[in-house]
Amino acid sequence: MNAIFLTLSAVTVLGAVLAVSLRNLVHCLLALVLFFLGIAGHFFLMRADFLGAVQILIYIGAVAVLILFAIMLTRNIAGTEGARRALGGAWWLGVGVSAALAGLMIAMTRRSELASKMPYGATEEGVVKDIGKLLVTDWVVPLEIMAVLLTAALIGAVVVALEETKKR
Amino acid sequence: MSVPLGYYLVLGAVLFAIGLCGALTRRNAIAVLMSIEIMFNAAVLNFVVFWYYLHNGALTGQVFALFAIAVAAAESAVGLALVIAVYRHYKRVDVDEMRSLKG
Repeated sequence: MNAIFLTLSAVTVLGAVLAVSLRNLVHCLLALVLFFLGIAGHFFLMRADFLGAVQILIYIGAVAVLILFAIMLTRNIAGTEGARRALGGAWWLGVGVSAALAGLMIAMTRRSELASKMPYGATEEGVVKDIGKLLVTDWVVPLEIMAVLLTAALIGAVVVALEETKKR
Repeated sequence: MSVPLGYYLVLGAVLFAIGLCGALTRRNAIAVLMSIEIMFNAAVLNFVVFWYYLHNGALTGQVFALFAIAVAAAESAVGLALVIAVYRHYKRVDVDEMRSLKG
């Protein structure tokens, strides 16, 4: 289990680092897919099978394709911008801030008494069925609000991305 | 058998910091959105980790992570639509170039 955790973590961190550091945006997207797969693997490792499947379906199936379409629509397919810099002017400031934040968070986890806690124990079978029951009983109102939010986001995305033809 | 909770917390912190680093340093708006997705995923990973280590037979943590994923999906759809609208207006998507509101 420990070796699996370390391997998955290495893959996940590698995907994240490549996704934020590569120049070609399509390569960034492929690294991001690797990162999503690593996260899904972690979900499977923690016996959250349903969330792992959801992660693959939504992130790799929908979000990655959406980002790919945005890359295609907004720039040349080759993806590189020639000699123009991929990073902003004060990039070292951003790196410093995020490194400081990482150090702070890791130091905080070191001091927490939760850090040495071991898993609660295996869950019973039929978890997907139980999640479904929870969603339509205890959490039905948040579920409906989520449906409204997704509809609003869909309409909003279409309206924002619509061509402005009426004004001319 | 399995690792303590602290390992996962360090992993989540590192992933979040990587995403923040990308969001702060990249110039292309789509790359910034990808970095924000990394930060979202680090947060959702932490939700699931806390559910796995601290649940008392309840599945509420997984439901919460599910809602977080749905909100992130809506965010990315609207964000990419905004990027396309900005591209139509400025013909480029660099965040450095969007300074019309600068005082």
